[in-house]
Amino acid sequence: MFKKVLIANRGEIAVRIIRACRELGIDTVAVFSEADRNALHVRYADEAYLLGPAPSRESYLRADKILDIAKQSGTDAIHPGYGFLAEREDFAATCAELKINFIGPKPSSIAAMGDKGKARATVIKAGVPVVPGTEAVGNMTDEDLLKTAPTIGFPLLIKATAGGGGKGMREVKSLEEMPTLLQSARREAESSFGDGNVYLEKLVEGARHIEFQIMADSHGNVIHLGERECSIQRRHQKLLEEAPSPFLDDELREKMGSVAVKAAQAVDYVNAGTIEFLVDKDRNFYFLEMNTRLQVEHPVTEMVTGVDIVAEQIRVARGRQLSYTQEQIQTNGHAIECRVNAEDPFNGFMPSTGRITHSLLPTGPGVRVDTGVYPGFEITPYYDPMIAKLIVWGETRAQAILRMRRALEEYRIVGVRTNIPFHQTLMDSHRFMGGQFDTRFVEERFSMEGSSEIKNSSAEIAAILATLVAHKQTERSAQIVRRNERDTSNWKWVGRWERMHR
Amino acid sequence: MKYVTTIDDREFEIEVVDERHIRIGDRLLQVDFESVSGQPVFSLLLDGKSYESFVYQGDEDWQVLLRGRQYQVNVEDEREKRLKAAAGGGVAEGGEFHLKAPMPGLVVSVLVEEGQEIQKGQVMLILESMKMQNELKAPRDGTMGRIRVKAGESVEQKQTLLSLQ
Repeated sequence: MFKKVLIANRGEIAVRIIRACRELGIDTVAVFSEADRNALHVRYADEAYLLGPAPSRESYLRADKILDIAKQSGTDAIHPGYGFLAEREDFAATCAELKINFIGPKPSSIAAMGDKGKARATVIKAGVPVVPGTEAVGNMTDEDLLKTAPTIGFPLLIKATAGGGGKGMREVKSLEEMPTLLQSARREAESSFGDGNVYLEKLVEGARHIEFQIMADSHGNVIHLGERECSIQRRHQKLLEEAPSPFLDDELREKMGSVAVKAAQAVDYVNAGTIEFLVDKDRNFYFLEMNTRLQVEHPVTEMVTGVDIVAEQIRVARGRQLSYTQEQIQTNGHAIECRVNAEDPFNGFMPSTGRITHSLLPTGPGVRVDTGVYPGFEITPYYDPMIAKLIVWGETRAQAILRMRRALEEYRIVGVRTNIPFHQTLMDSHRFMGGQFDTRFVEERFSMEGSSEIKNSSAEIAAILATLVAHKQTERSAQIVRRNERDTSNWKWVGRWERMHR
Repeated sequence: MKYVTTIDDREFEIEVVDERHIRIGDRLLQVDFESVSGQPVFSLLLDGKSYESFVYQGDEDWQVLLRGRQYQVNVEDEREKRLKAAAGGGVAEGGEFHLKAPMPGLVVSVLVEEGQEIQKGQVMLILESMKMQNELKAPRDGTMGRIRVKAGESVEQKQTLLSLQ
């Protein structure tokens, strides 16, 4: 097994990987930016090294610095987590040249799936159904795209070839608005991935986003661990994931699972990966893309299968065979993950920065929280707004929903605004409870107003609380300025009062 | 002491009668209100019902986190309320509106020009933060006044970006 693993990432995923390494008896090396000196991953790792200033281009995206640290620290493997360098073919290739194990797929598989245009061509050859869109491989100019768009038909999506997480993605309703949207998509893609190339895809309306977790070893074994439903999204960013999907039946599950395995085999895949599909209301499914890395939502699969995906990734990267055959993968119960983001759902999901002054995590039966923050941690504008993942397990979907409601109510984060109220409103939504939603649900048929009834009943209590605290404060200040029967001067009294309340 | 406490557009008239009683409207309620371990965490027993909450002071109002929901609460005592009324409330409606950066970030583009007529809800500026582009919209109709930033510029939280007249 490896002796020392460098984790080229930050936040909750770095902590998650450190945990897996520790259980396997592997030492860990953390890297961090100046903004993350006090981050949890730095404190949990056995070793930690500074990369550079806060912006990720100057720190977590600096492959050269990370590789220098790997060499200096005697690291024998690098786990990239998700985001940053996880899907950089050149990074994986340099690791191989330096004889450092990359805990991820081969550079050729990343290349084949990393460029979405090439990925489409590859899986089409393997007989996997795809969403209609631009088949041209390579860098298409705006002129090419504008010419091709009408043949695909509107509405369509502009997508960053190197994309992910909804960045560099724009929905286009007509040819007229396309030039402006192309420009902004390219700009966002460039700033997020350092690659401004985009391609077009038909917008499948009323579709659900369902993805299959696959695992593959270097001995030719490829299995899938079932699916995750990720249709609860906003601006193409996933907000909630669950496993299994309330939409699939066993027959479709098996069919899609075997197609997912086929897609992975088409690129000679090794390690953990995800095949994303769109499933329309008539249960037709289309390959969307493959994520050649660990995903944010991997815990829901872990909860229902019992497989430690990160540990399995490390084992496979070491050249071991998969610990499970397809027949041994049995799912049990239902899991839901809510992404807790520093965003204000009452104000257009505006990101919220600041110091987390208090944080109380939910615990209890069937609850797991993966996070990299703690009280006193500063949420900066440099990285993604996700601050925690709240995951629950229940024997049934209904139990999981009830448990999630309970856990959300227990979760206290003070100092920054979070989207916990959004998740609470969602858990109360009849359509969500009934499993009747698609990828447009949050943007088109969901409103925070849905929570107004609950909000109103608690508003009076909130008003009382604020009034009582304000009253207490007024009383204290009145004591300071009021000339009363105290035996000492106001200055002395203020000093004493401050010491008492320090 | 009597207070007028506002959440969104809802006003609550709350009188703190003594340490153990408050009056809200015409209801007299028994309260037991404790700060937990000196933190902004408060335990409230109101007529036997238990509530836990975080209450802390924001820039202009109080932030109350109750059962996972965050409320922005404005608390004014009667005197403050009278003073405000005497000073002529509602001036802000017609006055200049300064759009301030809700967070530090990078100005991606300014979509308006000085002197332009602006409609409520119109996107005035795009600010990138946490790798996402955020549209900052006009809170009301007006005429665009001074624009203080340009595309590509980094801004600090609460920095004035532009003014709407």
